[in-house]
Amino acid sequence: MALQSPSPHASIFGKKKKSSSPMPTAASYLSAVSEADARARAHGSTPNSTPALSLSSSVTSSSDETVLDEFGVDTNDVLSYPSTPPTSEQVFTTIHSEFGHCANESYRYTSQHRAGTPYKSYPEQDPPYYILLTTYLSYLMVICLGHIRDFFGRRFRAQNYKHLISQNGYAALNSDFDSFYTRRLKTRIDDCFSHPVTGVPGRTIVLLDRYSPDYNVTMVPTGTRTRGLNISSYNYLGFAQAKGPCADAVESSINRYGVSSCGSRLEGGTLDLHQQAEALVARFVGMEDSLISSMGFATNSTIIPALVSKGCLVISDEFNHASIRFGVRLSGANVRMFKHNDMASLESLLREVISQGQPKTHRPWKKILVIVEGLYSMEGTLANLPVIMELKKKYKFYLFVDEAHSIGALGPHGRGVADYFGLNPRSIDILMGTFTKSFGAAGGYITGSKALIDRIRVHGHSGCYAEAMSPPVLTQVIASMASIMGISPASEKASSSVLSLSKGEPSVTEMEKFPGTAPMTVLPSWMPVAPSMADGSDGYVRLRRLAFNTRYLNRGLRKLGFITYGCDDSPVVPLLLFNPGKMAVFSRLMRTRQIPIVVVVVAYPATPLVTSRVRFCLSAAHTKDDVDLVLTACDEIGDLLDLKQGSGDRWPLKEIIDRAVELVNMPELA
Amino acid sequence: MSIAKSGLDPLFALVSHSVEVIETNFYKLPGSAVIARYVRESHRDDPGRTLLEVILIIFAIRTLLQSRTHGESQSKHFIKFDEHEIDELVHEWTPEPLAPALDATEQADLDAVSIISGPTGPKPKLNNGKTVLNLASYNFSGLSGNAEIKERCVEALRKFGLGSCGPPGFYGNQGVQIQAEQDIADFLGTEGAIMYAQAFSTISSVIPAFCKRGDIIVADRGVNFAIQKGLQISRCTVRWYDHNDMDSLEHVLQSVEKEHIKRKSPLTRRFIVTEGIFDQDGAMSDLPKLVELKLKYKYRIILDESLSFGSVGRTGRGLTELYNVPASQVDMLVGSAATGLVACGGFCAGSDVVVRHQRINGTAYVFSASMPPMMAVAASESINILRNTPSLMSTLQENVRAVRAILDKVDCITIPSHPASAIIHIKLGPSSVPAPPMTPMTPMTPASPSRHSKPTSVQPRDAPQFDATEEERLLQEIVEDALAQGVLITRAKRLRGQELIEVRPSIRLAVSAAMSRKDCEKAASVVKASCIKVLNKRR
Repeated sequence: MALQSPSPHASIFGKKKKSSSPMPTAASYLSAVSEADARARAHGSTPNSTPALSLSSSVTSSSDETVLDEFGVDTNDVLSYPSTPPTSEQVFTTIHSEFGHCANESYRYTSQHRAGTPYKSYPEQDPPYYILLTTYLSYLMVICLGHIRDFFGRRFRAQNYKHLISQNGYAALNSDFDSFYTRRLKTRIDDCFSHPVTGVPGRTIVLLDRYSPDYNVTMVPTGTRTRGLNISSYNYLGFAQAKGPCADAVESSINRYGVSSCGSRLEGGTLDLHQQAEALVARFVGMEDSLISSMGFATNSTIIPALVSKGCLVISDEFNHASIRFGVRLSGANVRMFKHNDMASLESLLREVISQGQPKTHRPWKKILVIVEGLYSMEGTLANLPVIMELKKKYKFYLFVDEAHSIGALGPHGRGVADYFGLNPRSIDILMGTFTKSFGAAGGYITGSKALIDRIRVHGHSGCYAEAMSPPVLTQVIASMASIMGISPASEKASSSVLSLSKGEPSVTEMEKFPGTAPMTVLPSWMPVAPSMADGSDGYVRLRRLAFNTRYLNRGLRKLGFITYGCDDSPVVPLLLFNPGKMAVFSRLMRTRQIPIVVVVVAYPATPLVTSRVRFCLSAAHTKDDVDLVLTACDEIGDLLDLKQGSGDRWPLKEIIDRAVELVNMPELA
Repeated sequence: MSIAKSGLDPLFALVSHSVEVIETNFYKLPGSAVIARYVRESHRDDPGRTLLEVILIIFAIRTLLQSRTHGESQSKHFIKFDEHEIDELVHEWTPEPLAPALDATEQADLDAVSIISGPTGPKPKLNNGKTVLNLASYNFSGLSGNAEIKERCVEALRKFGLGSCGPPGFYGNQGVQIQAEQDIADFLGTEGAIMYAQAFSTISSVIPAFCKRGDIIVADRGVNFAIQKGLQISRCTVRWYDHNDMDSLEHVLQSVEKEHIKRKSPLTRRFIVTEGIFDQDGAMSDLPKLVELKLKYKYRIILDESLSFGSVGRTGRGLTELYNVPASQVDMLVGSAATGLVACGGFCAGSDVVVRHQRINGTAYVFSASMPPMMAVAASESINILRNTPSLMSTLQENVRAVRAILDKVDCITIPSHPASAIIHIKLGPSSVPAPPMTPMTPMTPASPSRHSKPTSVQPRDAPQFDATEEERLLQEIVEDALAQGVLITRAKRLRGQELIEVRPSIRLAVSAAMSRKDCEKAASVVKASCIKVLNKRR
């Protein structure tokens, strides 16, 4: 493959010097985009172009920049080269394998709840009974088999069971019973989990191939690599990039700050970058103040104990994330659960707990904190915020929304689930979120009123004891957020009050500006700012591309007849498989296709026993061709595995691909 | 009468008809005849059994239909209200404010937190423009800002981007993270290691991964906050021994053994949980003795080396290197890549079984995105540098000695830290301690005649009384005075009221190898002067 020869290392580091060269201006970019739009409409899309064509295309557009194939992977052309050659006017600054080239303006959509309609996710459809029956049967079979194998294994292969039985007076580290599920069920399909990868987890990802000589007990790397289409990373806005304005900003931050902030926030680990990032996050989310924590999981587990304590009640959605449960358990507060997203269940629970008060003593609760997630990462459902806000008015509880997945991924401005529903973020008490997903960084934040955040600064566990976030990560957060918001010139006055963390109350004018831009004064002065970042065009395109891809895949899968959960606008798309055996087969079939597709399959205990599923995570980095590819693959495998159990009107694959734009723009799916 | 009879007739007809239909359909099912015969025969043989079985079936159906969570409504404390009353109660209920504003001291504390403008290091610039000597940041090996690490990180950035965008189970683990784990394991000499994305969350996730309800943990009374949280989450039986007191540990181990024999309880997992260098005072554990006891009483040991890894030992391998104990003797060796390797995250090193177990059961590993690949690269590079440059650790030790040489002579303070510890805690000396507030005298229970504290209670037998607020105020005064003289130090910040035992307030210095000996002496002299100034003024 002569294509791969343009060699990698030299070009990457060559680019380092080039990074300061002027980016194409936004105006020229937009004009290129609209030109391309017209062209694409005229031509229609040709799905599989010849490699020769691709080669020429990459030469005409941006030479080495389009292809970054440093790993010497047996690359699939479709994954590395755009199928439609860009025209000479189009200038793509991204690497196609990292962030796909898509200039067609009709492949855009705005993620927004239609005002006046109640929120609803797809009704959860039950599969035919034979599917349920076979699912239970297959679990039963595997469990029986496991016990039989254990029975004989323990007698004839005692060596393998050594760590499960007590010896020399030490109890087994791992009890036989507790580990049964892992040993006998999960191990069978372990090749679908924890696959090591390399390279940028962007539009495509490179798998480090491996095989198992002993039925998944050990995995041996083969040394080869496979590039696959990545629909499993939490990279909603496509900021996982090794090249581009954000990476440039991070590089200059590494050179300036190094990699560590050396200590906890209250013990000398606070840098000016922390303050800048916190001011920006607060502005992004639309709250008074924010606090950044160096790990997403720890944000919940160390901050919830600062909010509630004994005598308080936490009402938690049954599908809330493990970190929330961890935090609640540490806090010592009482916990009650309500059925997932069931507002009637929540209301009746509220009525019960408020009227009954604390158990036994019947004293009134000190506080009631309702914790929901903005977007549930296994279900694809959104918190029904409009109804929760009404309940909040009536029942006076405090509301904590975990926006780990929804921030950046939802709403016309990417400001999360409140933005999606058109609600004022300040009507919610606490908005928590992470930077791992949409911003391509790491860690998490919590936002709220200034008094609240100050309290958490002092009383949260992380302030005293946990390491502060490291400078490169902070820079990625600042750069990616700024490119979603756009940057306003330094002259703005109100901004200074945000930065200085002053005691002054935020003015009303500031409130009105939400969702506003990032004032220049908040950003670090040394940070290189690309034009596409400054005018917000980069972020705008990302948001709209994600929204399109999301809706297209969600609706495409429904039209193919699959059972999916969740909301049309959720970038997390769970496709129900039910039978545990199908998980492994689905994952393997996807991975070994001619154009490999990398997927995540999940089962019990992350989901209820019967509803094993495959979870797609869409990204702004995907192009429509990529989603077509996924739909095609699902269509084929779905027929093979008898997965198309959904009811409702079905379209053939070709029709879905051809009428994609129409499908996405339909207000309601028939 | 006849009218009523004729009215019921169609009903009877319907019943008999439907019984007929059900019967014929039932016999159509394959194998139904066998069941019917069985039921008939068993009824003939023993009518009582039929009754019992019918009751059983009804009971089974009832259990199945019942909701799985009972909730409060079933408990005897439940009070029945009608809708109107509930509305009233809801209307009356006023919650406490979510977050009461900070009080004056807390606010002052928060405002006093120094902010470093630009990179941190031995001589950072603060946001007020002043350049200070840094005795506050954890930069033991002095690798913060190291040019080689920076270069590796930029390379990694251009190869992998920044975020890992997924948990380790779902394509979040890059080859470099696996490499970093391997590097740590090789460096320490264990079979394997596993990396968590944050040091603080590491041990509070490691402990509950192994220790379940019913297991026994023997822990030091002075363990750090993260361990306390891990113990709390694990829900196992905790026995406490006096802070860094091996006699007390042995005594507790014996008492657990006795209890075990007395109750004839089944063998459960048993762990000793302690720290290498203690976060609360800088004391150092006697690892050889710990290992001896652990082997004797058949315990596993979970050792938190967050502060000792990367700061003691010839090349910074921590306590195991310092005492020349093979790391494989420590079952779970937890360390911090954030402080020890100046990168980020934490790790747990141990045998393959230990590591493998955590990959499925370590909550903070499974449910969190893996650490950014760049940080893993930084950790690997730090190890590489530590391994090849033993002079880093010897410089650090010289600096520690230089600082201690000056501070040990000050008589108004006490330093509980180990002489080799790179973190140095300064507490108020006996002469300058403010009198503890008068508490209503709790009658000292002379119940236990032994000199040991009760293992079941976290409180030691004779807990020292002190006035935390006043001591903190004095120490803060010292901190601010030192800052005015150009030395950045910090009080050891604690969550008052949330720690299991109130820790006596202290100032925590962190010595770095990056500082020249002269600067160290200068900084220590400033701290000394500030201590004398503040504490003598009071007297």
